[in-house]
Parts: sequence; structure tokens; C-alpha cells
Amino acid sequence: MTDFETIGLLGLGTMGAGIAQVLATSGRTVRVLEADQQRLDAGLAFVDDFLDGGVSRGKISADEKASTLARITGSTDLADLGGVDAVLETVTEDLAIKKTLLAAVAEVVGPSVPLLTNTSALSVSDLAAALPRPQRVAGLHFFNPAPLMRTVEVVRALQTADDLVEGLVDLVGSLDDKIAVVVDDRPGFLVNALLLPYLNDVVAELDAGLATAEDIDVALQLGLGYRTGPLEMLDLIGLDVHLHATEAAYLDTRDPRYAPPPLLRRMVAAGHHGAKNGRGFRTDTPTES
Amino acid sequence: MSNESKTVAVLGAGTMGSGIATVMARAGHRTLLYDVAEANLRRGIDTVHGFFDVSVRKGKLTDEQGAAAKANLAGTTSLADLAPCEVVVEAVFEDLQLKKDLWAQLDEVVSESTLLHTNTSTLSVTGIASGSRLPERVVGTHYCNPAPLMKLVEVADGRHTAAWAHRASVEFLRSLGKTTVVTQDRPGFIVNRFLIPWENSCIDALERGVASKEAIDAAVLGALGHPMGPFRLLDIVGMDIHQQVATRLYEQLRDPRFFPPPMVERMVAAGDLGRKTGRGFYDYDDTRLFGS
Repeated sequence: MTDFETIGLLGLGTMGAGIAQVLATSGRTVRVLEADQQRLDAGLAFVDDFLDGGVSRGKISADEKASTLARITGSTDLADLGGVDAVLETVTEDLAIKKTLLAAVAEVVGPSVPLLTNTSALSVSDLAAALPRPQRVAGLHFFNPAPLMRTVEVVRALQTADDLVEGLVDLVGSLDDKIAVVVDDRPGFLVNALLLPYLNDVVAELDAGLATAEDIDVALQLGLGYRTGPLEMLDLIGLDVHLHATEAAYLDTRDPRYAPPPLLRRMVAAGHHGAKNGRGFRTDTPTES
Repeated sequence: MSNESKTVAVLGAGTMGSGIATVMARAGHRTLLYDVAEANLRRGIDTVHGFFDVSVRKGKLTDEQGAAAKANLAGTTSLADLAPCEVVVEAVFEDLQLKKDLWAQLDEVVSESTLLHTNTSTLSVTGIASGSRLPERVVGTHYCNPAPLMKLVEVADGRHTAAWAHRASVEFLRSLGKTTVVTQDRPGFIVNRFLIPWENSCIDALERGVASKEAIDAAVLGALGHPMGPFRLLDIVGMDIHQQVATRLYEQLRDPRFFPPPMVERMVAAGDLGRKTGRGFYDYDDTRLFGS
């Protein structure tokens, strides 16, 4: 199995940028494909800012920052992905969009190049079924923010080849301070299957007046030592992102624990998406009106 | 009210009771630790003294502070001794009738303005308060274990708790250096309300073979910012305690998320309770729970 020296990364949003940084920090070359130059620039600026934080805290040198950034190159032309050792997509959580994009990418890269998805909410087996040689499809699920969260789920679809799973475990092992957890392609995989019901439960109890949002967070932080309380965590994840993920798990399982609580739906309907637009359970400082 | 020294009492010299008595004595309050059994009482006082000795050894208290804290503590097996107490914290066994009876007896001993705090974790504050003729001065104050180290106290009013009693209780708890959160009088308050279904769902995932215990612990640790994975935590809590709390919450809520998965019953039956027995989800050589 290859060491995945050069990785084609589809999308440079929050997750894409974080993953690009993690891969580039490990010495790999990252070739990013984005829809337009503006998104590409925004994503690169995000990585730049994040690395600046590392420099100012003395975790990396300015030289290391520069060489990490230099290993990330961007393009809006699909043809530039030719010759990569693996492709990892981090685009919007829409199965049709992911299928179309990866099918087009499959035409450009070789027939044996692994096609990986960072999806948290969609079925990897479903995606694999739409692509040529589905045994080279697997999930590689990073958590947000990717440079800080240690866990990476290696998701084995029903079609995924065993040696690809092993190769991905090795890949994760070669990343700075990351741990691989191999999981089957079930709704929510491992972490979200546990996390989504818990977060939904908190939102439902908040709506039922158990305590204030702040007191719920403080209780779980001080009582259980959680770094982030659940409602602050929802703000950071993005209420729209959480709604989408839990809705997908609910449709897949019809398990009521995944059913989006009414308050969550209303928050998203009202445009309260969490920290990213300053309106959420723990934030009320809108960044735009 | 905040900085003056009060006379307070803690009922029950078990783990929580002695922990809460430690908090009170350390904060400078004259603290009476009450237990029906002389042997329990002696063990409880030893626990408190032991805590202060360690604090002095670690440099967290000076010799004088350690000695003063110890001098603040006295034990009694007679409720009549509690007459001068301004605050009484009940931390006895989770038995509704026992707790109600204690309030009824205390009604005859303490003044009408004495705050009655219950440290129940699974019973209703309202139910416990009904044991007193004056339920308006009963407040739920749920400490975390180990009480001297954990800053959180969940404050829950019963249906009849008066605003003055709530305010005075919060002020008193803050003077102890605690951070208070206010919650409704509902089963599990906040922490256990969310912890129990969470732990159950992790046990269930393990039982269904979704991943190994090591993988689940590692994944949770690395993805969610928890200080330890669910199975390490359960081993510290103890499977018997988890089973008791989960079952009591289930009995009140009739929500299957609270019912302990079958593996819990089997581990308890096998005596694999966690660190305290040397084996739970993991094996342990050292059965002490919190350092030395």
C-alpha cells in the first residue's frame, strides 16, 4: 500500500482546511480542488490563521508554517488532480453532489486510487455503489477542528478492500497525534451514533425548561470535566450541520433518539446556525443581520 | 452571610457526607457530622482528617490551617446536638422515608430559619421536603463526588421551597467556593440526567460489538474533549452505583434510555464493579479511587 504522499482534497471549507493542514503538517503534498478562487483563498487564509496561532504559541516555527503552507496548492481545475495517491472529499453533505463529483474525479485519477469521504452523515456503502471499483472507497472521518481533535474514524463500507482499511490506519498513525478507530458503515459510525442522541436530548430538556443553556453546560463541564458543554458544542458544530446529521441518522434508523428536537428545527429555521453566524444556544452576537 | 462562621451539620458519615463535612470545615464553619452508628461516625471523621492531612502534605493548607479545619469538625450520634445549626445537609442513604423521618425529627430540634439541604441524587426534593412541617426551607443541593475537589453543586427547589431559602442557599454554597447551577426538581437533575443515558448507550454499543471498549474510550476521548472514556469513568463510578442510579431514574421516568443494558447486571453479578474490586471493564492493581 502507498504512503499517500500526494492527496487530492475536494473542498476547502472548515473541515477541508483543517484536514489540509493536518495532512500538510505530516509532510504530504495536498492538492485542493475548489469550486472557485474565492473559496480557495478563504480556505488557505483559514489555514494560515490557524498556523499563526501555532507559531504565536511556540508550537511550530515560522519556517515550519511556511513549508506546511507551501505543500498545499489549490486549483479549480479537475485535471490538476491527475497523479494523486488518494482523493479525500470534504464537500457539502449531499449524496448526489458527492456522487457526481467523485465520479468525475474517478475519470481523472487512476482506477486504483482510493476515493475517500469525510462524510459524517451519509452512507459510505451507498456512495461506493455509485463509483467504479467500489472496493477503493472508504470513509476517513475527521472531527472539527481537525488539527486539534485526535480521533479519526476509518469507515469500512461493505465494499471496502481490507488492505485499504489497513493503509488508512497506517496513514492516520503517521499524522501528528491522531488515533484511528476502525468502524463499520453504520449511521453515525461510532462517535456520532453516541453523540447525536445525547445532543438532541440536551436540546429537548433545554426546551422543557430543565435549566438555562449556560447552567446545563456549566454542570456538565464541572460535573464531568467535559472541555465543552453540549450547547456550546452544538454552536461550534453548527446547528444546521447537526440538524442535517441527526435527520439523516433518523431517516436511516427511524430511531426516535435521532429525531431532531423541535427547538433545533426552529433555531435553524430562524437562521440561528451557531458560532459561525453569532446566533446559537450560547451566542447571541449576530455577525450579520 | 458569606464570610461569617456558621454552625452547620452534615447527616450521614458515608462518602458524600464526609466529603461535604470536609468542605464545610475547610470553609471555617463549625461542623457537626452526624451518624446513627458510632463506627460510621469514627470512619467519617477519619476520612475528613485524612483529607486535611493530605492537603497539608501537599502544601494546599498550612499546618495551622489543617489543624484549624480539623478543630472545626465534631461528631455526634445525637440529633439533639444539632439545635444551634443554621444549615443542615442531609447525605444519608437514598431512602425517601429515612430522609423524611430525619426532617420530621429535626423540625423539633433546629430553629425555623435553619436551611435544610438534601444531597439526594435520585429522589425528588419535593418528596423529601414533605417530611418537614416547613418544606419552604428545604432545598436540593447535589454535590459531586469527591465533594472537596469538585466545584459543582446542582441546586433544585422543591415545589414549596421559598425564594428566601433558595437565595440563602446559593449564597452559602458560593461562600464555600462552589459553583452553583439551578435546575428543576426532576430525576437526575442535570448531570445524571444526561450522564446515565450516555453511559448506557456506550455500554449498549460495546455489547452490540460496534467497537472494542478501548476503541470507544479512545474515540470519545479524542473526538469530544471528555477527560476520560465512558468505560474508564464507569470503572471509577462503580457498576453497582451505575446500576442503582440508572434503575432509580428509569423507575421514575419509564424511559428505556435510562434502563441499564444487560451487561451491567452481569458485571454486578460477577462482582466486576470497577476499580474498587480490581476489575470492571479493565483490570486494576490499585483499588484506591483518588490518589493517596
